[in-house]
Amino acid sequence: MQLHLLNRSVASSHVYRDALRAMGDDDYLLLIEDGVYGAVAPLVEHFSSIAGRLFALREDLESRGLEERCAESVIVVDTEGFVQLTEETERTVSWF
Amino acid sequence: MTNTTTTRCLRVGNREIALDPEGYLINLSDWTPVVAEALASEEGRVLTQEHWEVIDVLRDFYARFEMAPAMRPLVKAVGQALGAEKGKSLHLMKLFPESPAKVGARLAGLPKPTNCL
Amino acid sequence: MDNEDSTKTMLVVLRHAPHGSSWLREGLDVALVGAAFGQTVDLLFLGDGVQALVKGQQQGPLGQKGTHPTLDMLAMYDIDTLLVDAESLAQRGMTEADLQLPVTLVTASQLPHLFSRHASVFNF
Repeated sequence: MQLHLLNRSVASSHVYRDALRAMGDDDYLLLIEDGVYGAVAPLVEHFSSIAGRLFALREDLESRGLEERCAESVIVVDTEGFVQLTEETERTVSWF
Repeated sequence: MTNTTTTRCLRVGNREIALDPEGYLINLSDWTPVVAEALASEEGRVLTQEHWEVIDVLRDFYARFEMAPAMRPLVKAVGQALGAEKGKSLHLMKLFPESPAKVGARLAGLPKPTNCL
Repeated sequence: MDNEDSTKTMLVVLRHAPHGSSWLREGLDVALVGAAFGQTVDLLFLGDGVQALVKGQQQGPLGQKGTHPTLDMLAMYDIDTLLVDAESLAQRGMTEADLQLPVTLVTASQLPHLFSRHASVFNF
């Protein structure tokens, strides 16, 4: 099981498509930095195929004023949660 | 990376050849067999026929791939060009003690190999 | 398809085109360092990374080195497994015949396995 990190907005970069295609059935995806723009409706629909395995980093949502608007389907984690995810998974793969 | 800081010059005939801190040529086009001889003798090395054929392999490698080889590809290139007997690290270690990839590249007038120890 | 015992193999994923950024070169450098230190290395060309394999590339207009000589050099480092995402290739209107080296095409369903099976993954 792997943790994938995405730091680009789905609105401006197609890299999320490659990330989704590379993900296994139990892999997690954590949105960080500009990636968190994809945690808000309607953009979050791009991640409908990985419902329940989509995370977003609280600090990056907060700094962008998005915490209130983050979709309910997204699991919000803080830095500590991020660390936990990395411990739970075999490795992280960064998409940028 | 080719270091562009000249730290000293080597006099070869009536030419001054600029060298970087590790003794590699600043201008790769300065290289001639005479320059190779001068670089070698400075380090107390005498170039034999067996050295020259490896230097030729190194220069050919650089002409084809634009990079100086690390040890593993150097062994392979020597094996392909000169036969399996010579395509062995032992043979290259004897010719260029310390580090065949680095010493060989320096004498052959190539940049320092970037991806080896 | 990829190296038999890929649990001991490193996978370097190349996702950027040549010339536009240094990501491709940096990925290739990591692959070469790994190989120089005796690792078995598989390369996966994904997304714009497939552009690195296009035939007929040259140096940049200001004489900047291209990556095509480095690709030709991979065999000297015993990097022989060049995996190409078939979908990325098709999306860009290309086939294997447009590429400078022989490659192995990877289907969409094989892609996640590559990431999970290799001992380490370096994504560029």
